[in-house]
Amino acid sequence: MWTMEHRARTSGLRRSRTVTTPRLGELFNGYLNPARPHAGAYDEMFSTDNGVRSAYRALYESVAPSQVNELNARSEALGRAFVDQGITFSLSGQERPFPLDLIPRIITATEWSKLEKGIVQRVRAMEMFLADIYGDAQIVRDGVLPRRLITSCEHFHREAAGISPPNGVRIHVAGVDLVRDEQGTFRVLEDNLRCPSGVSYVMENRRTMARVFPDLFARHRVRAVGDYAVHLLRALRNAAAPNAADPNVVVLTPGLGNSAYFEHSLLARQMGVELVEGRDLFCRDNFVYLRTTEGERQVDVIYRRIDDDFLDPVHFRPDSVLGIAGLLNAARAGNVVVANAVGNGVADDKLVYTYMPEIVQYYLGEKCLLPNVDTFRCWLSEERSHVFDHLDELVVKPVEGSGGYGIVFGPDATVRELNSLRKRIKSNPRGWIAQPVVQLSTVPTKVGDKLAPRHVDLRPFAVNDGNFIFVLPGGLTRVALPEGSLIVNSSQGGGSKDTWVLAAKSSTQERELAQPGLAGPSEMEVAAAEQGPELTTSQQQQQQ
Amino acid sequence: MSWRVRVVHTTGYQYEAPVMQSYNEARLTPRGDRRQNVVVSRVETTPATRAYRYTDYWGTEVTSFDLHAPHKELQVVASSVVETSDLIEPVTTGTWADMREENLLDRYTEFLEPTRYTPRNRELLSKARELKKGKTPSEAVLAASQWVSEQLKYQAGSTGVHSSAVDAWHERKGVCQDFAHLTLVLLRGMGIPARYVSGYLHTKKDGALRETVRGESHAWIEAWTGGWWGYDPTNAMPVGPRHIWVALGRDYADVAPLKGIYSGGAATALEVTVDITRLA
Repeated sequence: MWTMEHRARTSGLRRSRTVTTPRLGELFNGYLNPARPHAGAYDEMFSTDNGVRSAYRALYESVAPSQVNELNARSEALGRAFVDQGITFSLSGQERPFPLDLIPRIITATEWSKLEKGIVQRVRAMEMFLADIYGDAQIVRDGVLPRRLITSCEHFHREAAGISPPNGVRIHVAGVDLVRDEQGTFRVLEDNLRCPSGVSYVMENRRTMARVFPDLFARHRVRAVGDYAVHLLRALRNAAAPNAADPNVVVLTPGLGNSAYFEHSLLARQMGVELVEGRDLFCRDNFVYLRTTEGERQVDVIYRRIDDDFLDPVHFRPDSVLGIAGLLNAARAGNVVVANAVGNGVADDKLVYTYMPEIVQYYLGEKCLLPNVDTFRCWLSEERSHVFDHLDELVVKPVEGSGGYGIVFGPDATVRELNSLRKRIKSNPRGWIAQPVVQLSTVPTKVGDKLAPRHVDLRPFAVNDGNFIFVLPGGLTRVALPEGSLIVNSSQGGGSKDTWVLAAKSSTQERELAQPGLAGPSEMEVAAAEQGPELTTSQQQQQQ
Repeated sequence: MSWRVRVVHTTGYQYEAPVMQSYNEARLTPRGDRRQNVVVSRVETTPATRAYRYTDYWGTEVTSFDLHAPHKELQVVASSVVETSDLIEPVTTGTWADMREENLLDRYTEFLEPTRYTPRNRELLSKARELKKGKTPSEAVLAASQWVSEQLKYQAGSTGVHSSAVDAWHERKGVCQDFAHLTLVLLRGMGIPARYVSGYLHTKKDGALRETVRGESHAWIEAWTGGWWGYDPTNAMPVGPRHIWVALGRDYADVAPLKGIYSGGAATALEVTVDITRLA
């Protein structure tokens, strides 16, 4: 029943903003039950008056009339496609598929254009911030931020001071985690400017969805995500020192055992560059070389997916076997570019995050377009006492660490857990922030034989090539599968959704919509284009 | 009166088996500032290497070099000619109220926080309070240095490179590194910004011209009491023409003269010699 016929049946209602549906289809039975957990959350498909929001209208029309067995069949097809493609993530040493839900998450062109502007602004400001704090720290001298905010960051690496990348870019790839609050406002939950992962799921989710639901893509104008690697490769090539005519780019992975190894190999393959481990590279006289069967080959840009601490045993953990000895000084000498740059972790610090509006204002003279989630800083005594008074209502997070590690969810914690948390905050107030519980927005998700509301977040990816900050339309939507759960991490029973950014009616992106999942220009074409024009005319300057 | 001195610092490693690869950083180049003038300075290695120089976060000149040919010994020789400073007087303008000022606390936060070598310690904290009682900040610096020089017995080899101030204090003995660290713990405990200085000391009080003496790699402290000034707690004496400063930081870890990694068997440090000659 996922056919075009429905379009005709309901097209008369399209003019109104939302379609009023007095009776939801069988699949949505009980969806809007007011007694469901977190009923206050913003539902992305249904408005508060039970109408279908415009972005989801066509999808709703396709899905609502279908039968349960049809839904199950599609869902199984999705799962099979994933296993066929070998897309799994490893959890405690076990490979398992990252469950992809069959209902996509849809973002309108207008919503996306706002998000895109906000993300670009954030990355621009963060670039200037990182360049500043690893340079003269003007923002500190001007008294906008306290010096101790920076120097107390666990990932403020003094070893990186004075390293200035050839094209000035430190954030080659950014992953900005967003949530949608009860009013439907997108807010930033955290920044990931070190080694953000997950983009492979964005591309693979789309490929799989396009295979299983060609009909849905025929009815929607979904912006393509398949050309991510083209943008990444351009950014990495641009990052190389200007004298590298045909820069040699490699992807550095910790190895097969890493949970994101699939992504590392996918990106290397799509970019057409070598996937290497630390032992494949070595430094000599501040140049980095790749050991190949044909001898040494100089490396210009390393897209590394290894944490700073393991990158260079000369400056960081001396016991690390994953990294390359001497790499940091090779980067300092300007002979190699490490992407993302060493020391970006300062911008991921959740206390620094709370100063984002000041940072954007200081460097860009603009108001921060994307609001943060309200945050209490435990290192300010006033805010700390507020946190202590409301510990059982707040989500308390360590300023370091990502992936939900170390987070205490106040409402679910026992008295003992809260007391121990209080002690830990007291002994290290700099190390903690607290936020009110945000009811993440919900999107219909297949649960058993029904569609039920489940909470989602969104991680868009931005790529900075030095001239232009590209934001991949969409990003990774993670969904918390247990009922009422707000924890979307894959390690905690999360799944994902394909994320659709709809094209604006008049947009020039129409071409790329015609064939969903189709990549942009081929790597060959891009590589050829980047070689630049042939040198046909000689130039010489006359001496005066 | 300031002196003109030549310093030749020889250090390195010896290996049981040939080492194929090694990566090193040397912090052996004296710094110039308004008190000290560096006339010439170089760092050389045997086997010869192509050195790369840069200035680190703390302003120290770093010489980095790597070796890729098998070698059983690595020798590093740093030589320089320096015009040293006059006798440094304590800066007495700072008051305890200045020390508590928010701006100052923030500006010098890195020199007030505990570090691995200068950890927080309750007993030392109460000692610090006791020592500062009734004194101005600069007097307190002198008192703390004096106390440390009385508490610790100087004994070469009594502590290792990884010993903290508290370790040395429990042992009641140490080397210049420990004297400096212990003084830093006390000063930071008093709320006085204080930093670690590494350098050299000419061992003769009235250095005879053209006479080469066996000097030593040395460490002392600088405190901020309205301005930065140095003091040598190991010898309980002011910093002056006999001191040649190289690097400063929060503690030893920021200024380690020679460190690196290599692949191969066990290594023993070569005997470190520092030959200092007063030229003028």
